[in-house]
Amino acid sequence: MSLKKILIITTEHASYPAANAVGQGRMGYDANTCIIRVPDPVMFPEDFYIRAFEKGIGGIIIMSSGSDCPYEGAYERLAKRVDRVYAKMQEGGIVPSRLKLTTICSVCRAAFLKEIAEMEKVVAAL
Amino acid sequence: MNANVEGNVPGDVSGRQPKVAVYICHCGGNISDTVDVAAVAAAMAQYPGVAIAREYPFMCSSGGQDLILDDIAKLGVERVVVAACAPSLHELTFRGVLQRAGINPYLYEHVNIREQVSWVHKADHDGATAKAIRLVQAGVEKVLRQAPLSALHAPANRRVAVIGGGPAGLKAALCLAAKGHEAVIIEKAPWLGGKLRDLGKVFPTGAEASETLRKLEELVAAEKRITVHTRAEIDSISGFVGNFTITFNTPDGSSQVTAGAVIVATGFEHYRPHPGEFGYGQAAHVITLPELISLLKDSPPRRLEHHGKEIKSLAMIHCVGSRQVEGVHQPQADGKVNDYCSRVCCSAALYTINRLKDKYPHVRIYDIYRDIRSYGMQHEGYYERASKHGVLFFRHTETDQPIVESSERGHTVKVKDVLTWNEEMEMQVDLLVLVTGMMPSDTKRLTSQLKLSVGADRFLQEVHPKLRPVEMAIEGVFVAGAAQAPMDMTEAIAAGAAAAAKAAILLSEPEIPLKPFVAVVDESRCTGCGDCLAECSYQGTLVMAEVNGRTVAQVNPALCKGCGACVAVCPTRAINVAGWTLDQFEAMVEAIAKA
Ligand SMILES: Cc1cc2nc3c(=O)[nH]c(=O)nc-3n(C[C@H](O)[C@H](O)[C@H](O)COP(=O)(O)OP(=O)(O)OC[C@H]3O[C@@H](n4cnc5c(N)ncnc54)[C@H](O)[C@@H]3O)c2cc1C
Ligand code: SF4
Repeated sequence: MSLKKILIITTEHASYPAANAVGQGRMGYDANTCIIRVPDPVMFPEDFYIRAFEKGIGGIIIMSSGSDCPYEGAYERLAKRVDRVYAKMQEGGIVPSRLKLTTICSVCRAAFLKEIAEMEKVVAAL
Repeated sequence: MNANVEGNVPGDVSGRQPKVAVYICHCGGNISDTVDVAAVAAAMAQYPGVAIAREYPFMCSSGGQDLILDDIAKLGVERVVVAACAPSLHELTFRGVLQRAGINPYLYEHVNIREQVSWVHKADHDGATAKAIRLVQAGVEKVLRQAPLSALHAPANRRVAVIGGGPAGLKAALCLAAKGHEAVIIEKAPWLGGKLRDLGKVFPTGAEASETLRKLEELVAAEKRITVHTRAEIDSISGFVGNFTITFNTPDGSSQVTAGAVIVATGFEHYRPHPGEFGYGQAAHVITLPELISLLKDSPPRRLEHHGKEIKSLAMIHCVGSRQVEGVHQPQADGKVNDYCSRVCCSAALYTINRLKDKYPHVRIYDIYRDIRSYGMQHEGYYERASKHGVLFFRHTETDQPIVESSERGHTVKVKDVLTWNEEMEMQVDLLVLVTGMMPSDTKRLTSQLKLSVGADRFLQEVHPKLRPVEMAIEGVFVAGAAQAPMDMTEAIAAGAAAAAKAAILLSEPEIPLKPFVAVVDESRCTGCGDCLAECSYQGTLVMAEVNGRTVAQVNPALCKGCGACVAVCPTRAINVAGWTLDQFEAMVEAIAKA
């Protein structure tokens, strides 16, 4: 199974508009990426990520809104959950660098591209 | 609030798979120049569950919308996927089409293949096409698992809060009052008028700014429906469309205003040159254009003076703090340069030059620019007049900035002049005027509390510059004037009137439809463990209640924010956010991984 696809989980309020801003600026990145839009990634349980890796996703970038998050306590809960996902990944022999939790605001175009470039290196090495 | 959200069970299609139609938009070449739209439509026509897949030049046009209506009427299409531009632009347009056809508007999925495909993979047509297919397949999987939803309804407060009492805010308040709405102006300065207060005679009318402002203030004061709070520092702003609460502090104490809509008209700040930028703040007789305008307001006839020195010559340098180039200019505190054009300053500079020449014909003026962008009806006339006045123009490139050397005797300005084939020009002047640009006012508190989008230039970003030019992505929040982009007063006033019209339309009905994306419980799956309660940050949103002899989780949709924190911890997947269920996301990821 080729593990080159990168799943980018974006938030409706912040990182999804950032992805659009990258497009409006005609800045390029690789087409092995797919962006999904959620109210907040806090909704995904630990096994959602594990199942995505099992299905053949190479890398996952969770682009949360961080302290800009409109939902109370959501970022803190998400960060704790991602720690638990890392533990599960370790148990299952999945390289931890295949999952990255980051924060991207609606104008973070450079940071958005940097996260993708870093994950490209991870999936290239798989 | 009346909650009417059906469960997370896909709509009733009598046990068979619903008929899905897929439409791929060319966006007039914006998409189809990169993505092979015919190949995407052909691939989708074969995809399980898809009844029909089409491509069309402009799906948002009436022709595109009719195509969907026709397919619903003639082919019995029950769910729709449109792959086009960003959902912020047209998701609502297409939901409206479904509604017009008598289908639940939420049985719709919008796939973004422009901002997130064709515009970012221009050099990789095959990769972009394959990615578009993956995303549209994921969209079909999502819509197949979509339940019909009904909007929630909230009572609408008819009052509108206008933040900022400059020309845009004042006009917005006056228009709202004329339409029968109460308007509350919350202004942080001790007075109304914004930057209009600092100006002298203003283009294009030639009226005295103070006179224009006096008329506006009189109209506002005479209007019973307008309340004004000055020296008001916003402390917090919360709520949602129909029901915002704004708390602010004035010297008299803390006050609160409730409003159904908010118009943000916070305007701009003048760019402050860095210490030493062209000598500003360090050498004597270096001022900005707004400072020159103030100087001219009170200057005596015949003799132009600055700090006791007679000014017989001056040079203006355009684009100071605007159209900056990375590596050439010093960035702002956030590490970014101001790469945008401030638009108004060329006209303002030329208009001021003409006023100065009318009053002091003997003053020699040199105008040093990169481009003259005197946009606006007949503003080119200001340039022609300045030329007739004998003003000498010099043009430089973006990297060859003018060089200023200042001494006790005055300033020597050197410029490599493009108009004379890069000849090195040198001039001696008494006064240097920096044509400074516009930067947005500090709206950090507002943007972070209301979650407003800000563009790369830090100005507030509307949903769409042409289709929804005064609407912010957060429902019930509108933008007017220079808070959105550099603009002159006629534009700011027009924007104020437009924002007022939009707010008045929104609040014209007693109830406002709200998005139905809140948590819903499938009671048949709920075991009553209560894990979700501990996860919810919003008190009272989730409770355990007895239903048909079983204890199950219950959601108060009026309080639920739809974040989904509860979803992740439910061991039986009984709770989901309507329209964004875990099953939908898992099916999308499967489609993306597989394709
Ligand atoms: C040098 C120069 C010359 C110009 N000359 C002309 C001219 O001749 N003709 C013309 O048409 N245009 C001219 N303009 C443009 C004109 O100044 C603007 O178009 C106009 O002021 C914009 O109005 P506004 O209401 O959007 O913003 P502003 O005038 O900036 O008013 C915004 C108001 O919001 C308030 N505010 C800001 N933040 C907050 C907050 N957080 N809470 C509460 N209140 C807040 C401010 O105190 C201010 O009162 C000129 C501009 C410049 C820079
Ligand atoms: S309007 Fe003129 S001076 Fe102002 S930034 Fe644009 S080009 Fe420069």
